[in-house]
Amino acid sequence: MRGNKRLWIIALMMVLALVAAACGDDDGEDGDTGDATGGETEEEAYEAPAGTPMADWQEEGSITIGVKFDVPPFGFENPQSGEVEGFDVDMGNYIADKLGVEAEFIEAISDNRIPFLADGTADLILSTMTITTDRDAEIDFSRPYYVAQGRILVPEGSDIQGIDDLGQGTTVCTALGSTYEGTLGEQAPDAKLDLVDAYSECFEKIQNGSVDAVSTDDVILTGMVIQDDSLQIVGEPLTTEPYGVGVANDETEAADFLSETVEESFDDGTWDGFYEEWVGQYTGEDPQHPSELTLEDAYELFPCVETC
Amino acid sequence: MDRILPIITNNLDIYLSGLLVTLQLVGISFVVAMVVGTLVASFRIAPAKLLNWIGGFYVETFRNIPLLVLSIIFSAGLLRAGVSLGKMSAASAALGLYTAAYIAEAIRSGVSAVGKGQIEASLSLGFTYRQTMRQVILPQAFRTVIPPIGNLIIAMIKNSAIVAGSIIALDDILKVARIVNSRTFATNEAFFWAGVGYLLLTIPATIIVRRLETRFAIKR
Amino acid sequence: MGYLFDPANWEWIFAGRNFMFLVERFLNNILIALIVMAFSLVLGLLIALMRISKNKFTSVVTGIWIDVWRNLPVLLILLYFGLALPQDVKEFWVDIAPSFLPDQIKDSGQVVASIIALTIYNSAVIAEIFRAGIQSLERGQGEAAAALGLPYWKAMRIVILPQGLRRMVPATVGQLITLTKDTSLVSILAIQELVAAGSIVNNTSGSPFGGTGVPAPILQVYIVVGAMFVVFNLALSLLSRRLEVRERKRAGDVETITGLEDQIAIKQV
Repeated sequence: MRGNKRLWIIALMMVLALVAAACGDDDGEDGDTGDATGGETEEEAYEAPAGTPMADWQEEGSITIGVKFDVPPFGFENPQSGEVEGFDVDMGNYIADKLGVEAEFIEAISDNRIPFLADGTADLILSTMTITTDRDAEIDFSRPYYVAQGRILVPEGSDIQGIDDLGQGTTVCTALGSTYEGTLGEQAPDAKLDLVDAYSECFEKIQNGSVDAVSTDDVILTGMVIQDDSLQIVGEPLTTEPYGVGVANDETEAADFLSETVEESFDDGTWDGFYEEWVGQYTGEDPQHPSELTLEDAYELFPCVETC
Repeated sequence: MDRILPIITNNLDIYLSGLLVTLQLVGISFVVAMVVGTLVASFRIAPAKLLNWIGGFYVETFRNIPLLVLSIIFSAGLLRAGVSLGKMSAASAALGLYTAAYIAEAIRSGVSAVGKGQIEASLSLGFTYRQTMRQVILPQAFRTVIPPIGNLIIAMIKNSAIVAGSIIALDDILKVARIVNSRTFATNEAFFWAGVGYLLLTIPATIIVRRLETRFAIKR
Repeated sequence: MGYLFDPANWEWIFAGRNFMFLVERFLNNILIALIVMAFSLVLGLLIALMRISKNKFTSVVTGIWIDVWRNLPVLLILLYFGLALPQDVKEFWVDIAPSFLPDQIKDSGQVVASIIALTIYNSAVIAEIFRAGIQSLERGQGEAAAALGLPYWKAMRIVILPQGLRRMVPATVGQLITLTKDTSLVSILAIQELVAAGSIVNNTSGSPFGGTGVPAPILQVYIVVGAMFVVFNLALSLLSRRLEVRERKRAGDVETITGLEDQIAIKQV
C-alpha cells in the first residue's frame, strides 16, 4: 500500500504543478486585448437602447469577437506578445470601445464562423468574411467595411498568369467554407481544388510545391507575399469581396448599429489609419474605399445559390 | 434532419468518390503497414540486441506520436527536405508506418504466445532457426495474429479520416461531408451520411473479424 | 539529410518565446485529456454495468450504442459536435467551468464540444475495458459471493468491481495515451493546443508579423511537437508497466489485457 500511495501523491503533485503553471501564464495570453485606443470617447458614451443586443453586451461588459488567428494582416496570433493582432482586430476594438466594453478575441476559421454566431459562441465575427446572400439566410451583416478582391498567388517563374491558366492538371489551394470553393468551381472548373482548414496551410503548400496556386482575397495573399517575396499575385481580379461584420441572424438593430459604427470609422479617419498600418504601408496602393459599396450592392455580387 | 434525403441524393457522386478515396488510402496503407510491421517484428524477436533496440525504438516512437503530427511531417516536412511525395503516397506512408508499429507488436505477441518451449524443442530436434520459424512457429502464430490485424484494419479505416483531414487534404468521406456542410449548412444530414459511409466499412469488417476469431481460435 | 540536421533549422527553439509557447499549449492538451478521462471513467463504468445487465433490452441497446461510437472515426465525432452543438450547452460550460482552468479552456464553447465528443467516444472504449475486467472475474468470484449470501449489487461493489477495476488500470492508462494523441485533433476545431501552436510558430517566427527573426521550418517544428507527445506518452506507459508489475507481485500472475486495447475489440471471456 505504501508504494501505491507515493505514486498517487507524485501524480497528484504533477497535475497540480501543471495546472499552476498553466494559470501562472494566463496574464498576457491571447483572449483579452481590451481597449486599445486610450478612452477619448468618454463624452460620447454610447447608450444602447434597452432590449437590444448592444445593451446585453454592455451589461456583460465584454463582447466575444471571432477573428482569424493565422491570416496576417487581418487577424493573426503573435506568440511573442501572446496577443491577436491585425486589421480585423483593430476594427473589433473600435466597435468595443464605442460600446464601452472589453473585446475578447477567439479564433473563427472559415467553416465554423457561421455556426459560432448561430450558437452564441461569438457575438460578432470579423474574420475576412465576404457578404453573400446565402450567408444572409443564416446570419446578419453590417454594411461593407472592407473591399477585397479575389486574386491568384503563384510561385516565382510560374506559367500561371491568370484564371485561364488554371486548367487541367493544375492544383489550387483555398479554404474549406470560403466563397472561393464556388468561385473557382465556376471560373476554373478543370483545376483540382485543395481544400484546407486554414490559409496558413495554403501558404505552406505553395511554398513547398504541393499546389500550383492559391486563390483567395488579395489582402490574405498580400500577407503571404510580405512573408515570402518570391511569391507573386497575378491575373485580373476574379471577384469583388466586400467584407461585413457578422452578427446572429435577425438581429437587425445590432446590424444597424454595426453599420453606423463602421461609417463613423470612415468619417473620423480611423479606417484610413487602420488601412495604412496593416495594408497600405506594404502594398503602397490605394484601396477601393468600402464607403463606395452599400450592403445591397454586396448582395447583388453574391446572389442566392443554395439557400433560396 | 428534414433535408436528410436530398442531401444524399443531390451529392451521391461526391460521397461515393469520398468512399473510394478512403478505400484506396486504407488499401495502400495496409500493404505498407504489413511489410514494415513484419520487418520491425522480426527485428524485435531476432537474437541480436541492436536489432531489438532498433525495432523497439520504432515501435515506441510510432505508437506514441499523434497521427496528425506524423501526417504533417510526412507531407509538408518531407517536401521541404526535398523528398517529393504525392498526396496519396504521403498519406499512405503516414498511416502505414503508424499502423506498422501496432502490427509489429501484434506479430511479436503472436509469436511469443506460441511459446519458447516450441522453439527449443524444434531446435533440439535438428531444425534450423529458419526452419523453426517457417514451419513451426509462424503457422501457429498466424492464427493468433489474425484477429488483432483484423482489428487494426478497422482502426485504419477510422484513422484514415485523420490523415485525409490534415494538411494533406484528401477528399475522403469526412472531407466530403464538410464540403457539403459548407455549401448547404445541413450539418446533421451531411455528417449523418458520412457516419453511414464509415459504418458501411467498419461494421462488416468487425463482423468478419469476429467470425475469423472463432474460426481460428486455438483450443488450449 | 543535410536539411534535417542543419543546425540553422533548429535555432528557432531558442529564439524568443517559441519553445515556451509550445509547452504552454501542450498543457492544454494534457488538461483536456485529463478532464475527458475523468468523465469517461464515470460514464464508462455506468455503460459497462448497463452492458452486462441481466435485462436483455438494456444490454442489447447499450451494445449498439457502444458499437456505433467505437466504429466511427473520432475526428468525425469531434467535427460534428464542433459544428452542431447547441448554444445552451456551451453557455452552461462557460458558467460552470472552474476558474483555475486557463482562459482558452474555460471560455471556449469549442472546448466543451470537444470534451463532449471525446467523452462519448472514450467512454465507449472504457466501457468495453471495464466489461472485460469485470467478466474476467465474474464466474468464480460471482459464484463464491453468491454462495456467501451476498446480493448482486453488494457482490458487485465489494467483490467484483474492486478486483476487476484494478486489473484494468494498465489498459486504462493505455487508453489515456490514445486520448492524449486524440487531443491533437482538436486543433482542427480551432482550439488553441499544441499542433495549432506549432503552425503559429512555423508561420510567425521568421515573418515580419510578430516574428523573432529566426525562421522555424515546418519539419523541425513538428519533430519537436511529436517528440513532446512521445515523451509524455512514454512516461505514461512506463507508469502503466510499473503498475502492472506491482499488480502481478501482489496478486500473482494476473490476466491483463494486452497493450492494444484501443485497436482490439475486447472479447468476452
